[in-house]
Amino acid sequence: MLNLKSVAGALVATAMSFAPALAQNVTVVTPYLAQPGTQMFVEGFKAEAEGMGWNANIVDTAGDVAAVISRIEDAVTQNVDAIVINVDPEQIAAGLEVAKEAGIPVIGMDSGASPLLQANVTSNGYAMAAETSVYVANRIAGKGRVVMFVFDPFPPVQIRGVIADAVFGNFPDIEVIDRITPDVQDGGIADSRAKMEAILAANPEPGSISAVWAAWDQPGLGALQAIEAAGREGEGIVIVGIDANPQARDAIAAGGNFEASVAQDFVGIGKATAGVVSRAIKGEEIKEDVVYVPTVLITTANVGE
Amino acid sequence: MIRTLKLYGTLIGFVTILVFFSVQLPDTFLTARNLLNITQQVSMLAVVACSMTLVMVMGDFDLSVGSMASLAGIVAALLFSMGYPISVGIAAALLVGVLGGVFNGILVSFFGILPFVATLGTLTMFSGMAFFTSGGKTIFGRDIPTEFSGFARSGLELDQIGLIGLKLPYLSLVALLVLVVVWFILEQTIFGRRLYAIGGNQEAARLAGLKVRTLRLCAFAMTGFGAAIAGLMYASRVASANPTQGSGLMLDAIAAVFLGMTMSEEGEPRVLYSLIGVLILGILDNGLTQMSVDSYIREILVGAIIVTAVAFSSITKQSR
Amino acid sequence: MALSSAQLDLAPGRVHALMGENGAGKSTLIKILAGVQRADTMDVTQDGQALTLTNAEDARNAGFRFIHQELNIVPHLSVAENILLGWAYPKRFGIAIDWKRLEQQAENALLRLGVDHIDVTLQAARLSTGDRMLVKIAGSLVSLDGEEAQLYVLDEPTAALSEDEAEKLFRVIEQLKAAGVAVLYVSHRMNEVMRICDDVTVLRDGKTVLSSPIADTNRQQIIFAMTGRDLEEVHPKRKTPIGKTIVCTAKGAATAEIRNIDFELHEGEIIGICGLTNAGQSDVLQMFMGVSSLLEGEALVAGQPAPKSPSEAWQRHIAYVPRERRSEGLMLRRSAQDNIVLPHLASLSRSAGITHSKAEEATAKQFSNAVRLKADSPRQSVYELSGGNQQKVVFARALAAAPKLLLLDEPTRGVDVGAKFDIYSLMRQASSDGCSILLTSSDLPELLGMCDRIIIMRDGVQSAPIPADALTPAKLLAQFYHSEAA
Repeated sequence: MLNLKSVAGALVATAMSFAPALAQNVTVVTPYLAQPGTQMFVEGFKAEAEGMGWNANIVDTAGDVAAVISRIEDAVTQNVDAIVINVDPEQIAAGLEVAKEAGIPVIGMDSGASPLLQANVTSNGYAMAAETSVYVANRIAGKGRVVMFVFDPFPPVQIRGVIADAVFGNFPDIEVIDRITPDVQDGGIADSRAKMEAILAANPEPGSISAVWAAWDQPGLGALQAIEAAGREGEGIVIVGIDANPQARDAIAAGGNFEASVAQDFVGIGKATAGVVSRAIKGEEIKEDVVYVPTVLITTANVGE
Repeated sequence: MIRTLKLYGTLIGFVTILVFFSVQLPDTFLTARNLLNITQQVSMLAVVACSMTLVMVMGDFDLSVGSMASLAGIVAALLFSMGYPISVGIAAALLVGVLGGVFNGILVSFFGILPFVATLGTLTMFSGMAFFTSGGKTIFGRDIPTEFSGFARSGLELDQIGLIGLKLPYLSLVALLVLVVVWFILEQTIFGRRLYAIGGNQEAARLAGLKVRTLRLCAFAMTGFGAAIAGLMYASRVASANPTQGSGLMLDAIAAVFLGMTMSEEGEPRVLYSLIGVLILGILDNGLTQMSVDSYIREILVGAIIVTAVAFSSITKQSR
Repeated sequence: MALSSAQLDLAPGRVHALMGENGAGKSTLIKILAGVQRADTMDVTQDGQALTLTNAEDARNAGFRFIHQELNIVPHLSVAENILLGWAYPKRFGIAIDWKRLEQQAENALLRLGVDHIDVTLQAARLSTGDRMLVKIAGSLVSLDGEEAQLYVLDEPTAALSEDEAEKLFRVIEQLKAAGVAVLYVSHRMNEVMRICDDVTVLRDGKTVLSSPIADTNRQQIIFAMTGRDLEEVHPKRKTPIGKTIVCTAKGAATAEIRNIDFELHEGEIIGICGLTNAGQSDVLQMFMGVSSLLEGEALVAGQPAPKSPSEAWQRHIAYVPRERRSEGLMLRRSAQDNIVLPHLASLSRSAGITHSKAEEATAKQFSNAVRLKADSPRQSVYELSGGNQQKVVFARALAAAPKLLLLDEPTRGVDVGAKFDIYSLMRQASSDGCSILLTSSDLPELLGMCDRIIIMRDGVQSAPIPADALTPAKLLAQFYHSEAA
């Protein structure tokens, strides 16, 4: 049994290095640690946690949502001081109920709201959509024909469309000529490009389309490709997206039609989550269900930063 | 001595793990609540491993169990979202499991395709169907009836036996039921004995008058059925269905059966040993999380323990 | 301990037979020579010098070559590659394999054995068992400089060979002798030993009980040394008359391998089917077992068409002892009991398909006793049993079916003399009880001693059944090659 002994030895060693006595224990459980956004959340969270002297245990279940419930149960058994999740709370309600029963606060890190959470820390989707739609309205001086790309089946994106509708509706001289829901199977670029090509064909007059507002970056990028392929990039069609992914940032930096997008502060969400955790551990009742972290409008002016 | 170690090495390892966590986590590990938690956490894996044992006694494999579990969850959830009653959703999901299993069985026993290849193919097919029917989305929220998701959150009250406020989770009960049924089939029925005979020597079994094709077909159908049960349990636990959610079950189930095989004298899978394999994996996850061991280190350890157990049993086998 | 006081002297240019019942210690002795197993006390000397054999390397360096019963040939590779396997292939430009020279070397190796009928470019899978053995021997002839073979150990080499293949092997052994090599020849076959061996050593219970030049001993003496009893009559004579009822009929029957099969088998009769390797003997049995399907003509068992599947055959009390007991007969890792009751699980079960272990145990016990199985218990794994006892397990399985028709495909192959005698007694007993038997065999004395009539197969076509009393081994062998004349 020599082999198993050495395994046990390794366990003791890791346990020692990971569990200094009397520090606050916070467990972060996510199935999505492999994704870049989640990694930045965790990075921001860890930086703050270190400063506060917490013992933060990051648990990745590699895509397994049921395992998230199991690991929450384990954390409750271990009687940690707080739990942070980064997964849809509805799917793990079974685990959240166990934590609630044990009186352990659970904070969502961009997870979606739920009464079983103390609070959810995320970007303000309403504000992001407001930023880009107002940008469009300004650029076309409150007058012109706008194409919208939306996706109402997915709630976080749906709310963006609602805000843009309201903003454009408030300008009497802005006309929304199409409100398109692209097929997102392939990420949304290819189908958006096809849809945009059809719109361009239907509106051949130069200047007949003033702007494209996209609820996220991919449709905007597809529209950009369509406009460039049609040779109509000189008409001054303004394109905006949301999320500021690397491809969108490149497009903005290139100085073409794709002019603006909004960047979420992922690291900031992680940090803010740590702040909420710290308040919850102290016993403070978090009044707001959602804690918003400011976003940044990205244009040619600040895309290089 | 070596023979004893070969047979009991894994069992000793299992006990060592139990003792180790009991010492390291004196207040929380060996509590009724935690042990009940563990039974619930491993319940889905246990169901898949038990039904996987049915084909593995024949020396076969079913790599498609994970995607079958996902597909079964999706089928049930879709029917729920279309307003069908829970019983219809569950029945349809189980039917899909049996049909998928029969399909695997036909490929393996009538077309003679190697199980590894055949079920690798159906793994992709089932997964594709799950994506296609769900449109790649997670089905959750109001689409999942609360009675369905509530099943995974409730259990038998244990107040009567002195465990005040504790429940024996229904998921654990389902797993126990599947375990008993598979044990009975494999150890107490002619059908099970014949499956073992096929594993012992397929050609000899055929010449001794066994209907090898039909038997293999039935075993694969049962494994598909088991995978569908696990898929429903999973969907109930996470109150949602996602086209990839069962995929992690397959490798863990095979690992558990392999761990169990190291305990059997003939090197054959036995369902009770498979259960110990499942418990080893589940307890490691549970205990190491409580000890705040990094999740990636945990994976390395789990893999190392499997390799160690299997290597240990093969070394001792050779030195006999 | 398998060996207590065994002694063996081998001389160059002489073929030395090592005989003994299974379990007498032959395998242990060979393993010691191969350096695989070590004795507590032993002296091995070579040319008067002490030799240490601690591993396989030592044995190889000493010039010992082993040809085992189970031929570990690589079926996908060519004959030439199999011969050169384990040695450095000849190279071109230091990297590319020089196929021409590879084939040349392989051919030379075969020619040294006087073998010229094997195409070295052929895939080894396409060779007959006998040719595979020759390839294996040729492979062991290929050696690095200064590593000439001193001793060949042939472990039951003819067990899987037909008569003519065995003849080829004997010629090769003559070549080896002429080259001044010592040959240790392990065999159960008395005829071969008397014919090709110069000396004989007999082991019993781990002791050398006889060691003598063949010329100074005889069959009786050797059999007595092996078994400790006189076997005046190895093949028990028929005591009851053959019945009138016809149990099994073939009328112009054909399967994929055989055609125009015609005979009638009576109640209690034993018909032997023989011929060169793969002449279709086994296919006749398989036709009645439901293994190969009937394409033309008629095959009847008890007046009904022959079974369509082995499953149906067992239900109709047709029992089968397949040719390859390890690959077709037994689940080696499982117990004797499991193996015996395998086809009978349903009839031994409680209702609703639930097993009845008491009934299984009783059946296993009854039939292991009937076949005089030597095992620690019916729970013992079959792979721990000797070849003869493994075959008895397959026999017990067949007898437990209360067979009306017994299909025996080479039932005594690789079985020691004692077990052979037990099997012959069982066959005679079954026949007396009214069970009809179809027997294939390449052991001519066995055919002549046990069968009432003999059918000779040639390329899938049969001769008319010949009464066994009208035949001698020489006549029978002649029939193999000229069966149209019969």
